[in-house]
Amino acid sequence: MFARALRSILAAAVLLFPVTSYAKDTVKLVFIGPLTGGNSSNGLGGRNSTELAVKVRNADAKARYRYELVALDDECKPNIGVQVATKAATDRSIVAGITHYCSTVAMATVDVYHKFGLPVVVWGAVLPDVTYAQNYREIHRINGTMINQNETAAKFMVAQGYRRWAIIHDTTDYGKGHNKYFSQYLTRNGGQILGTFGVTADQQDFSAELTKIKDLGPDVIYFGGTTPLGVRIRTQMDKLGVKAVFQGTSGIVSDAYVDGLGKQAEGTVAFREGAPLERLPGGRRFMEQYAAQKYNDPPEAYGPFAYAAANLVMDAIERVGPDRRKVRSALNATKDHQSIVGTVTFDDHRQNAVPLITKLVVQDGKWIVWEDSDFATGKRKLVSR
Amino acid sequence: MRKIFRPAPVWPALLLLPLLGGYGYVFLHAEAQWQVAILALAGVAAILAAGSRRVGAALDRSWRAAPSLLGWLAFVVAAALIYVLREDHFALLMVATVLLYALVCLGLNVQFGYAGVLNFAGAAFFGIGGYTAAVLAAHTALPHLVILASAGLLSGVVGSLLVLPLLRTRGHYAALITIAFAILFRTFLEVNDLLGGPQGLKVPGLAILGWSFNDSIVVDADTEFSFYVAYAGFSLVLFTIGLILVWRLERSWLGLSLDAVRIDETAASVFGFQVARWKILAFSLGNVLAGVAGAVYGMMTGFVAPASFTLAESLIFVSIVILGGLGNPAAVLPATVLVVVLPEKLQFIQEYRYLLFSAIVILILLFKPAGLLPRSLRRYFPSWGKA
Repeated sequence: MFARALRSILAAAVLLFPVTSYAKDTVKLVFIGPLTGGNSSNGLGGRNSTELAVKVRNADAKARYRYELVALDDECKPNIGVQVATKAATDRSIVAGITHYCSTVAMATVDVYHKFGLPVVVWGAVLPDVTYAQNYREIHRINGTMINQNETAAKFMVAQGYRRWAIIHDTTDYGKGHNKYFSQYLTRNGGQILGTFGVTADQQDFSAELTKIKDLGPDVIYFGGTTPLGVRIRTQMDKLGVKAVFQGTSGIVSDAYVDGLGKQAEGTVAFREGAPLERLPGGRRFMEQYAAQKYNDPPEAYGPFAYAAANLVMDAIERVGPDRRKVRSALNATKDHQSIVGTVTFDDHRQNAVPLITKLVVQDGKWIVWEDSDFATGKRKLVSR
Repeated sequence: MRKIFRPAPVWPALLLLPLLGGYGYVFLHAEAQWQVAILALAGVAAILAAGSRRVGAALDRSWRAAPSLLGWLAFVVAAALIYVLREDHFALLMVATVLLYALVCLGLNVQFGYAGVLNFAGAAFFGIGGYTAAVLAAHTALPHLVILASAGLLSGVVGSLLVLPLLRTRGHYAALITIAFAILFRTFLEVNDLLGGPQGLKVPGLAILGWSFNDSIVVDADTEFSFYVAYAGFSLVLFTIGLILVWRLERSWLGLSLDAVRIDETAASVFGFQVARWKILAFSLGNVLAGVAGAVYGMMTGFVAPASFTLAESLIFVSIVILGGLGNPAAVLPATVLVVVLPEKLQFIQEYRYLLFSAIVILILLFKPAGLLPRSLRRYFPSWGKA
């Protein structure tokens, strides 16, 4: 009797075994970005976008693995960045990472990823040195650097017939880098710089700088910095009667900029890496899915990059399995990968070599692609003199 | 009389030390939400228990019965903890970070716990140490122990420049000067391209007597210790030296003079104390400790950038000292664990973690306004327990 019972249990176990082996293995990914502090809106947008990519993949019956996302906060501080990077990289159950919005944090952590062999894809940091200052096979970057952005910006603006610039930049790595590369490409393309003004990232009053700029009389004021400062400078330009085109960088491409300025935002020009989201089929779907999740925060400018990076990583894992070295090699060899930010191909420093730059302008309270705007057709002018 | 001289039993403190070590081990490994919650509750319960008169006084008495024996035992427990964690890079990084932050706070403790000189630029002096190490280690062949010493020295020298306006002001105004210095320091780093500007600088790893701290320690073919063991051990030694130094300082006539200056400057100068001299001593000593800690921290994390040494970071140092208990050097350690490790353990609640963390800090100060372990009166004869 007992033997028979045992036999039937065994049989049942044998029958059940294949069923359980169909259950997918769980693979862990890590997202690191600034979830608290001054840059948290971008960090939360990136986190949500990555989470969305993971959710969509888990809902896909064809996926070989079930993915689990660990999100860590680097506070945009290099020391905390090294701490959480060590935590993620030494956790052997984590296979790959989607990491860092702040350039200085990305710079601080590359050694950690290299030392512990965790392949990562940078989703937001724009400093060229992140990929070009070393040659670690673990470090990839899906977004373009500020070099690409400023080359396009300088060429485009000169082609529009502007010649004289005044530059305001904040003294963070972001602002200083933009100033450096924009100045370089501008002079090369025949533009003239009348004056350059460095301001601290928390400065409130710009009368001194803007009064001087008014005397200089530039065609365009170039601003290298992020939204809060951009809003202040644009407002104070009107107060002091400075009539010039306001040209920004990817740092002011946010809903907060348009909301903060209202009508004054009209005609502000800015540039961002990546194809215009609305034009790619995947991009539109991303926006719909993001809206459906009802997140508290918008994806912001770099959310799509985080989403694309997560998909790039998960595609690699699907192909070669959850093994860090194999995933690293698979990511290294990325070529013509179709993503919602355009085609991704890594160069010899694992930097996305074909970053599209989108030109944007504010029209009727919205950032829209330059080519679709009334400004491009000549219906409206950027500045009415 | 005889009753007073009877030594108190040593066992309560003796029992406490391994318990604390075990708690530290478990806490560093807790990842799941319920684990962290239980451990945090246990910690709060322990703090409340220590605050109750009977348990706290018993511990206090037994500690005083054999302070040096128990002190060295604490060192052994900490070293054992590092050994147990030998293969766990991340936990060791946290241990080393806690010890180095605690070293900075020892310095701040001398500054405003003893001499009453407020310093809201702790992170700036920490940063001076880090940057000194970065520049000297990258561009000179100086032995690293000399670099650590010069990092402390430079920090002290810069501090002695700041001391000039500090001596001419008092109270809030003096505090404002240090705040201004903290902001000045960061802006100076950001516009200074020689020092890497806002992007920061890479720092080579520490190497002492040809032993590179950044290589893992190979015992034999199958066993390899994390390279953080070396950093954590070194930090432990530095912290211990700092702690002994500060303890000795407090017990000496120097400490008495500092207390006199803090409690009433006018009265102290009437009694012949040179107020300026004592303030300079405390301020410089504190900055030297911060500088040395900063140098080791920079070499351990391999990177220094202005964003790591902001005013906000200085406020964290100040809050550690206040949370621990002004003027009690031993209190610095539990407070640092709370301020450094707890936010890390709360990563799972992501953007809300600072909200919860701040609430916990406010609650602690609400129920223990003098800090976790308030400073007690000096007793020069440890065996004179309270009857």
